[in-house]
Amino acid sequence: MGKFILRRLLLLIPILLGLTVLIFLFIRLLPGDPASAILGERGTPEAIERVRNALGLDRPLIDQYLEYVGGLLRFDLGTSFLTNRDVTADFLQRFPATIELTAAAMIFALGLGIPLGMITAKRRGSWFDTAGTLVSLVGISIPIFFLGLMLKWLFAIQFPILPDSGRIDLIDYGFPRVTNFMTVDALLAGELGGFMDALRHLILPGIALGTIPLAIIMRITRASVIDVMNEDYVRTANAKGLSSSVVDGRHVLRNALLPVVTVIGLQLGLLLGGAILTETIFGWGGVGKWIYDAVVNNDYQVIQSGVLVLALIFVLVNLAVDVSYAFLNPRIRYS
Amino acid sequence: MRTWRWISVLAVLVLVLAACGQQGQSPSESEETDSPPSGSGAPEASEDAGAGEPQEGGTLVFAGAKLATSLDPALTSDGESFRILQQMYEPLVDLAPGTTDELVGVLAESWEGEPADTEYVFQLREGVTFHDGTPLNAEAVKINFDRLQNFSEEFQGDAYYYGALMDGFGPDNLISSVEATDEMTVTFTLREPSPTFLFGITLTPFSIISPAVLEATSADDHAATTLTTDVVQGGTGPFIFEEYVPDDSATLVRNDDYWDTPAYVDQLIIRPIDDPAARLQALQGGSVQGFDLVRPSDYETVESEGFSLVERLSFNGLYLGLTPTARETVGGLDPARDDLAGLYADEPSPLEDLAVRQAVAMAIDREALIEPFYGGRGEVAEIFMPPSSGWHESVLAGVEPVEYDPDGAAQLLEDAGFTADNPATINFWYPTEVTRPYMPDPAGLHQAVSQMLEDAGFVVEPQSAIWDSPGYLFDAQNGYYDMHFLGWTGDYDDPSNWYGVHFGYSQGEPAAQFGCDIDGLEDAITTADGELDETARGEAWAEVAGLIHENVCFVTLVHGDTALAFTEEVQGYEPNPTGSESFRTVWLSGE
Repeated sequence: MGKFILRRLLLLIPILLGLTVLIFLFIRLLPGDPASAILGERGTPEAIERVRNALGLDRPLIDQYLEYVGGLLRFDLGTSFLTNRDVTADFLQRFPATIELTAAAMIFALGLGIPLGMITAKRRGSWFDTAGTLVSLVGISIPIFFLGLMLKWLFAIQFPILPDSGRIDLIDYGFPRVTNFMTVDALLAGELGGFMDALRHLILPGIALGTIPLAIIMRITRASVIDVMNEDYVRTANAKGLSSSVVDGRHVLRNALLPVVTVIGLQLGLLLGGAILTETIFGWGGVGKWIYDAVVNNDYQVIQSGVLVLALIFVLVNLAVDVSYAFLNPRIRYS
Repeated sequence: MRTWRWISVLAVLVLVLAACGQQGQSPSESEETDSPPSGSGAPEASEDAGAGEPQEGGTLVFAGAKLATSLDPALTSDGESFRILQQMYEPLVDLAPGTTDELVGVLAESWEGEPADTEYVFQLREGVTFHDGTPLNAEAVKINFDRLQNFSEEFQGDAYYYGALMDGFGPDNLISSVEATDEMTVTFTLREPSPTFLFGITLTPFSIISPAVLEATSADDHAATTLTTDVVQGGTGPFIFEEYVPDDSATLVRNDDYWDTPAYVDQLIIRPIDDPAARLQALQGGSVQGFDLVRPSDYETVESEGFSLVERLSFNGLYLGLTPTARETVGGLDPARDDLAGLYADEPSPLEDLAVRQAVAMAIDREALIEPFYGGRGEVAEIFMPPSSGWHESVLAGVEPVEYDPDGAAQLLEDAGFTADNPATINFWYPTEVTRPYMPDPAGLHQAVSQMLEDAGFVVEPQSAIWDSPGYLFDAQNGYYDMHFLGWTGDYDDPSNWYGVHFGYSQGEPAAQFGCDIDGLEDAITTADGELDETARGEAWAEVAGLIHENVCFVTLVHGDTALAFTEEVQGYEPNPTGSESFRTVWLSGE
């Protein structure tokens, strides 16, 4: 197992190096440049030239690339063209918000998706199964933007039981941001009310972001459970007279989870990569919106470093998924 | 059954969390109880004031579209950055509340100097201290202006306004010297008279920052400066910086030692909510008490739900850029832009013919755009500058108004040789993924204007590109489009900031965006720009505008008003067409 993990980690080096080249070149191939994006309507040719010089965009590409990679080797992700802020600091400041939102979405998706998938599989063909399939279809196809606005309209405006946006009630809870995990910071400040408020702020964006993964996880669980239920060992377990909860929990679910875990890994990677729409409508300062804004503004440093870090996280999450297979199914051995 | 238990647990958890937060749902309620008025501050405020009298205390949470791009005022050039920074930092002089062309002293108590002069003497206000305790004096002002003038190349890219208004950087720019003549007197000597100098320095990038803070933050060193990112107490304004979380919130607290009447609210929190629908929901849901840039289509909702709509008169203009030279420009590009060249099919542009351009202007019913796209709040743009500009009347005098006349437009087209068999085909561009105060719905406006043009006999090929990336702005400004939408929000009130910026010549070449090369235009602009007498300046710019409109280099369409929305308890917001607005006068009625 150790060797497997080490080999996968070593593989990261060529993957990341290749990515640096791709991202670096790709963003520069797009027409338009940071200078005109920074200046907007005010971009006279002289002003654009001045900004290009200041940003070093007039230097040869190879020089710019080497400086970028040199910075990466020193764990320096560079400075944003647009805001002059340190990209590493900006990423670290926003990533906790993304992790909290992703966690909320995954708790919602897994907490409902796996049980519902299980029930619909076990009651295949029933009205419940039909309803579940329908709901999951709607879940996959509903635009997040619409869902988010509707959830807010319903639960924050018509029946105001949940906050409409943001990560905390800024008026009531002004505790210092230490880790940028709002829940953790509230606890560090001894603000139990703040902790509960931070959790409340997670509910609507968590549901909006978690709906698509919920639908996918539910469908995969259902299909997988149906497959496993037809296996001989399940029939044997039932024939032995084991209680249905033991059969479901120990024999069916555990074996059915393998494909589900793969999907969870992919979804988790995607969610951590940023939830642009959810972050936009819920005023949630995470990495998705940050990188999106950088793309819109041609902020090369933020794009090339931000995307690279997200790619790294995506690869690591999927490595963790691969490793988890071995725990779910002891027959799987990595060497 | 176990699965049902899971679901029940989750559902109960959600309900408990929802219930937990019921208290303090309404920000106004918590303000009333949590924030007793502080001892010092606004003298007019009384504790038991009714809705009519300003009341002290409370927290105002306000949503803009974004937070600041930089926390160093000198390096900002957008309204969202200005909104936050101008609550903390102040210039020597500023626009009088609600006006675009009247100056009032801020850090300067008085000044001497007219547009025709090259020397301006500012007498600074006594007893002003920066938030860090440093006293304001003439040396502090000198240090600030010297810093701007000597910005290294890396800074120059971001210090747009200084470069544009002071004619670049370094010792040869507009400012020959800034001297501290005595403890509280500063003398600026200019290389040549500049009628826009005083208006220019009202802008946020010219704010005066505590010299101690400039030094502590290494503000002169591009690689080391922390003034761009850190929360510092470097201003003199009515609010003091307390916390800044990028993409999340900026928290400011009242400056009880402000040199003028202090602010009423204890705390001002600005949140970025990019999407206008989400901003409205935040107001409806109670997480903010006010927001800027209400969508015109939401005006009715805002008012019908009991919120107050505060209208800000337009200081902008939407126009239709006509570029007869676009096809030639694109044809000469190296490397070639095949995506554009393919559209133009080697045909000469119909817009080369003045009659065709006149037909475009006559075919558009500008009045009909205001109700559907600007919620009825806006004006037809007869000229580029809006009626809120002090120069509007004098410049308008030089321009022959264009009447909506679709039949006349069709006749002009026909006379020019364009018929149904040989139509005038124009590629007409609009930007996507953007809204601007002057352009709330680019696609909708494009559709409406295209229909008007087609009704007059034009064939319109609709084209679109993303605003910043891959580069609508870039392509439009470089003159690659036959016809395009664009607009402008004024920086300060002077015709040079409207007609001059757009049609000024560079090394004998007309602005590429319009390819508008008219006999006498270059000289007229130079003359107008150098004219120092106010009346003569108005007349000179009227002549420039006359030439441009007569030749239909662009068609000015609409001045769109913008609006802010507030909950009922928020009082005292004073909008300014330029967007230069202070939260100092805002108070919460507690109702």
